[in-house]
Amino acid sequence: MIIRITTEGQFNLPGSFVDELNEIDNELVEAVEAADRSSYDRLLKKMLDLVREKGSPLPIDEIVESDLILPESDLTLEEAQVLFVGEGLLPG
Amino acid sequence: MGMLSRMSTIVKSKMNRILDSAENPNETLDFAYEKQLEMLRGVKRGVVEMVAAKRRIQQQATSLQANVTRLSEQAGQAMEAGREDLARLALQRKQVAVIELQGLDEQIAGMEMEQEKLTAAEQRLQAKVTAFRTKKEIIKAQYTAAQAQVRIGSALSGLSEEMGDISLAVERAETKTANLRSRAGAIDELSQLGVLNDFSGSQDPLSKELEAITSAQSVEDELAALKSALPSAERKQLPGA
Repeated sequence: MIIRITTEGQFNLPGSFVDELNEIDNELVEAVEAADRSSYDRLLKKMLDLVREKGSPLPIDEIVESDLILPESDLTLEEAQVLFVGEGLLPG
Repeated sequence: MGMLSRMSTIVKSKMNRILDSAENPNETLDFAYEKQLEMLRGVKRGVVEMVAAKRRIQQQATSLQANVTRLSEQAGQAMEAGREDLARLALQRKQVAVIELQGLDEQIAGMEMEQEKLTAAEQRLQAKVTAFRTKKEIIKAQYTAAQAQVRIGSALSGLSEEMGDISLAVERAETKTANLRSRAGAIDELSQLGVLNDFSGSQDPLSKELEAITSAQSVEDELAALKSALPSAERKQLPGA
């Protein structure tokens, strides 16, 4: 599957990693909800590293849509909280 | 709904607004290409503005640092001259400068990272624009309108996504640039109010007094140096000469 890390580029990640990705995603949402900064930082890095390490970068001139889009590595907890405002997860 | 799907929604909401008119495929292709070039110019402008804001704050940081050093020296000289009141004022001003300096380096480093990301995004978009231009001409030449519509579908959505990504990056960079500018503006204001003066050439009373002490001290030092350089015989004759 094609995964984009915003501002970084696209990767082709074998579909077998999707479950792992979803698991980290769920934990990440909990960390954002709990405003748990250290877990948030650790999980975001873990998520992006999984894509970078297990996926292969797409050629720069290839133009395809991604199946999933991940935020950039320096997205702060505060910025992540704003992303979820109005999403029902956090009070807007 | 997780982080993954949320981020996808956000990027896609950006791209829909960028490329939502798709009546005639040839028009769509040209329109998309125009949009890409426009965006590329936007990214370039973002980098230029960011560099300008960064340079300004770097200059301010350098002169603040010089002020801190100078104020420390002047406080010392004021104490030597028995002017504790002046020394206290100098130290108070130094404190203001120190506080302004704090976090400035961090902010500059943050800008540098943002600048790198934007520059990388610019290169990526440039490569995609080039690839798209080729693809667009091939599609226009080889396919009927209906076929072209199908052909461009995936390229167009891939491209829209890239543009959505980049427009988010540009927005983020713009916010950071604006923050940096307002910080630089605040420092300028403090300088204008005389709180963060550069003492060389400033006209407020404290600066004048501190300068007077500094220059009196320099005169004394030079006199002492001259005296010690004189041969002892001449030195004895001086009072009567």
